[in-house]
Amino acid sequence: MKIAIFFGTETGNAEMLAEDIATGLEAEHETSLADLADSSPEDLKVAELNVIVCSSYGEGELPASAKPFAAQLADSQPDLSDVRFAIFGLGDSEYAETYGFGSMKLAELLVARGARALDERPVHDAASADLPEDVALPWVTAIIDGLAT
Amino acid sequence: MGAKIAIVGAGPSGCYTAQALLKRAPDLEIDIIDAQPVPYGLVRYGVAADHQGTKGVARQFARLFTRQNARFHGNLRLGHHITLPDLRRAYDVVVLATGLAGDRALGIPGDGLPGVIGSGALTRALYEHPDAAALPSLGAHPVIIGTGNVAIDVLRLLAKTPDELHGSDLGPAPTDWLAAQEIRQITVVGRSRASAARFSPVMIKELAELSRVDLRLRFPDDAEALNTAVAATSGPLPVDFRFESRPVALEQVDGALRLTVETPAGPEQISASSVISAIGFVCDGALDRAALLQEADAAPPGNLYTAGWFRTGSVGAIPQCRDEAQALAVEILDRITPDVTKPGRAIFAAHKSIVDFDHWQRLDALELSSAPGNRCRQKITCREELLNPATHEDA
Repeated sequence: MKIAIFFGTETGNAEMLAEDIATGLEAEHETSLADLADSSPEDLKVAELNVIVCSSYGEGELPASAKPFAAQLADSQPDLSDVRFAIFGLGDSEYAETYGFGSMKLAELLVARGARALDERPVHDAASADLPEDVALPWVTAIIDGLAT
Repeated sequence: MGAKIAIVGAGPSGCYTAQALLKRAPDLEIDIIDAQPVPYGLVRYGVAADHQGTKGVARQFARLFTRQNARFHGNLRLGHHITLPDLRRAYDVVVLATGLAGDRALGIPGDGLPGVIGSGALTRALYEHPDAAALPSLGAHPVIIGTGNVAIDVLRLLAKTPDELHGSDLGPAPTDWLAAQEIRQITVVGRSRASAARFSPVMIKELAELSRVDLRLRFPDDAEALNTAVAATSGPLPVDFRFESRPVALEQVDGALRLTVETPAGPEQISASSVISAIGFVCDGALDRAALLQEADAAPPGNLYTAGWFRTGSVGAIPQCRDEAQALAVEILDRITPDVTKPGRAIFAAHKSIVDFDHWQRLDALELSSAPGNRCRQKITCREELLNPATHEDA
């Protein structure tokens, strides 16, 4: 399957997880990896599945590298009705009030433009003992298996 | 074989610089040296013990050493074990990313009185840095001068209940010390208006969650996060934020400190059992920073670069380190001309006391496995044990 992986990051953790997902999928799929900062909404129309890793920063804001992309979504109002995406969040439950809001906001922006969200939006908790790749890889594999059947 | 680059300082700036370089040029031979026997600098010893999520960036940095062929050379102090000219002769490029270990002095009469403590010295002791001085007694009414994130970190830790430190890596000795302080009031003094203070709003939100605090504001203005926190808190520990208050003098009066501040309402005096200055960091004098900055900026460019707080002064948080590191990596790779005759890491061969990244991984596993139930890690604190963890295991 053609899978495009994107990340929105502030300190690099989401980028590292996106790299791990790409590494985990590249043997069986045709994968690409890009920073949302270097991407446009049109880039979501290339692959059969878009996998997005997005952190939260400050008071549940979008991470720095996702902000220009979000602005493009708002400004250019693209039609994303043929776009399928799955989004994985990084958050810190110490900040319970805005936990995982960065990925939530990005998902809402995409859905508002007609894109279809696959599966729920898991958020890895920085305050937990789990490693993000141990949560994200089974999640993305299950989504791909679901699409393949 | 790629060019050889030595990075001095294994904190966030040094590690992000290595990461950005290796992303663009994976065959570089990168050596990161650090005076401490453990990596990560500010992430380990500067980021607050209860901000474990922020410390998560260390997982990225570990990959430099476990997957990307960067080498860690710990317990190697520049200017003591090895000179900068020697390092520059041995490498194509040297990057100084040593941070700023000194506390900026208040610069007012009385700022050297007993009971006046720098926030860096205090947090180094709290976070169990091997070179830290002993934890001081703060008394019943410490006054914190400064309204940046470090000031708020100190305030938060002083105000937390033992339960609120659950999941942190604050060690047993600092935990006992905190419990023994019997602080009855905390005052935070800042020159700016409330709405112009440098801390992040999320830090104030975090304060508002604490069970003990009762935040109060002198000279309020439209600082939304602060006003919300003031309205939301009514605990037994008064925390007075005094903005628009410029410290002008400290005196010792009847066994206490007396701070005089200039305010819009004229001069005011604040009595303090101790004063913690949190107004930024300066070079601790281990290196001649001014001369090195000048040399790194000299034209034609030599092989010396500076990064992070050592370069910019103590402004900006971890994301800024990363952005600047990426720009620096581009600059270095644009200019670097590898010289195959440079010996690189071979010059460390004579230093038998160097510890490597495998050594850190053993320490890390030991610290994680020895953590009590309410802590995520128990740091090994003294240099001897950090160098010889076997002595710790026998303890």
